[in-house]
Amino acid sequence: MSDVQEATNQLLDVNLCENQMSIQVTESGPRSESEHLQVTIGATVPTGFEQTAADEVREKLGSSCKISKDRGKIYFDISVDSLAQVHCLRSVDNLFVVVQEFKDYHFKETKEEVLKDFEDLAGKLPWSDPLKIWKINTSFKKKKTKRRKINPNSSKQKIDNGRGDTTVEKDVKEFTNSVSDSQILDSYENPAIKEEVSTLIGDDLTSCKDETEENSKEEADPEVLKFRVTCNRAGEKHCFSSNEAARDFGGAVQDYFKWKADMTNFDVEVLLNIHDNEIVVGIALTEESLHRRNITHFGPTTLRSTLAYGMLRLCAPQPTDIIVDPMCGTGAIPIEGATEWSNCYHIAGDNNPLAVNRAANNISSLLTKIQVKEGKLSLGLPIDTIQWDICNLPLRTGSVDIIVTDMPFGKRMGSKKRNWNLYPACLREMSRVCRPGTGRAVLLTQDKKCFAKALSGMGHLWRKVHTVWVNIGGLHAAVYLLKRTPQSFFHPSEQDGERCPW
Amino acid sequence: MRLLTHNLLSSHVRGVGPRGFPLRLQATEVRINPVEFNPDFIARMIPKVEWAALLEAADTLHLIEVPKEPIQGYERNEEFLRKMHHVLLEVEVLEGTLQCPESGRLFPISRGIPNMLLSDEETET
Repeated sequence: MSDVQEATNQLLDVNLCENQMSIQVTESGPRSESEHLQVTIGATVPTGFEQTAADEVREKLGSSCKISKDRGKIYFDISVDSLAQVHCLRSVDNLFVVVQEFKDYHFKETKEEVLKDFEDLAGKLPWSDPLKIWKINTSFKKKKTKRRKINPNSSKQKIDNGRGDTTVEKDVKEFTNSVSDSQILDSYENPAIKEEVSTLIGDDLTSCKDETEENSKEEADPEVLKFRVTCNRAGEKHCFSSNEAARDFGGAVQDYFKWKADMTNFDVEVLLNIHDNEIVVGIALTEESLHRRNITHFGPTTLRSTLAYGMLRLCAPQPTDIIVDPMCGTGAIPIEGATEWSNCYHIAGDNNPLAVNRAANNISSLLTKIQVKEGKLSLGLPIDTIQWDICNLPLRTGSVDIIVTDMPFGKRMGSKKRNWNLYPACLREMSRVCRPGTGRAVLLTQDKKCFAKALSGMGHLWRKVHTVWVNIGGLHAAVYLLKRTPQSFFHPSEQDGERCPW
Repeated sequence: MRLLTHNLLSSHVRGVGPRGFPLRLQATEVRINPVEFNPDFIARMIPKVEWAALLEAADTLHLIEVPKEPIQGYERNEEFLRKMHHVLLEVEVLEGTLQCPESGRLFPISRGIPNMLLSDEETET
């Protein structure tokens, strides 16, 4: 009972002022204790890129990661002072603070017993520290005050949690089967998202106005927080559904804290992640996925920025590397590259005038956004856009260090039949422009068979070094890391052995 | 389109091969867009640059005088590096054309984006 009292008191003290970076969390509890608070953070990342994300965490936060068997999740410990930096990670989609982890949870035999256990669990968890973290985190997020309406799309959309054979369910407490848009969106153009992110810049400008609105609303009802429970369940042997677990666990959470349940306008999102015998209870720290951060103008197959980041990281860009995306679409990859690897030079190219225009617009929007945020004249980014044909690149032979691209899958763009001709032509032209010896390519495709065939005839030019299996909007795709061999490219017209001089 | 990009571009009209470089630049609208100066980046980029092509392009645009070749000890010469930084990264051609030196084929540059697409007859098989 005293725990509840303490928790409620802490929440009453919530002071959501904007620049609260220091830890002024509670009035009870010693100040020094909060400052040295160590916390376990969980992050969802594009499946297949767990190691890449772990590398980024080690590089930027100095923490080592535990990669969960629950694919697409990593865990790491940080001190509370580093919380702001966690939001700067570019390979993570969503963040949460771990309340408790059960490595080997013992599920009872019947559904009733299991659900009863979940209800009992709510009252036994160590909520207070994670809630402190949540509070601090909320103060960072004050700028983005516009609450998005969750888009109630039908749940027939396959969830991007790539579990292969095991059944996956995701349900949210509140008797509907609506799925949050950050889950379904991946590569699909969605009018709700388009509307949401086309005001990305608008949000920053109007954030001051919205703050006052929300503040006055909160003053009217400061004690009662609104919450929801999201349950992810994967595993063959469970006798309950995620909906049932979310409902019963959520009910107990509501009784414990006296919070109000609200599906769309929640303050606290409690996560209940169940993967076989592993259960992790967490509190979400991100309200919308970070993965669309750079893109305001969407195309039909826009790649997640977190995936673009992972692909770029795979090829280990060196300073002054020339990095080209010859099928850039809306420019997700080169734009991510230009922001994160600004000591390289990026070129975005596509044959489609719509794509090229979108890419250029996304770059302008990004520059404007940086300008608004930092309030100073924004400097240009090291990126250019060109309209060209991948099979006939207007680039000097051997002038490109890295090629990174999302190749047409043949599903929503192009066709499988076209791929049979396109892929070999692409690989050949890419091998021409890529620098022999040091050059490399990172290529994403779902048409793995066609790719393998196209690559098989090119062992003298490309060497496959690594493959990452990923899940793109429900499709099992692969990211191939290729190294360019030291052999120079011989133009077919120079068969008599005369070296191509350039 | 920046001059660093121009330095990488080459005509791919059929039969032209290496004689398609460099493309002749002509600009009707240019914009100067400041970019953060990174001396290390410029110093390392200079060996990768095709100098004659850069010289020619900078001349056409009536930019500050680019030396005939990288000066001795350029790695530590800040004035030189700043000049090259400006020429390579801060000058953007918004409207103009690129011309294949061998075939004469013109490629338009519009809103900063060069359109290098060829018709089917013009491309190599």
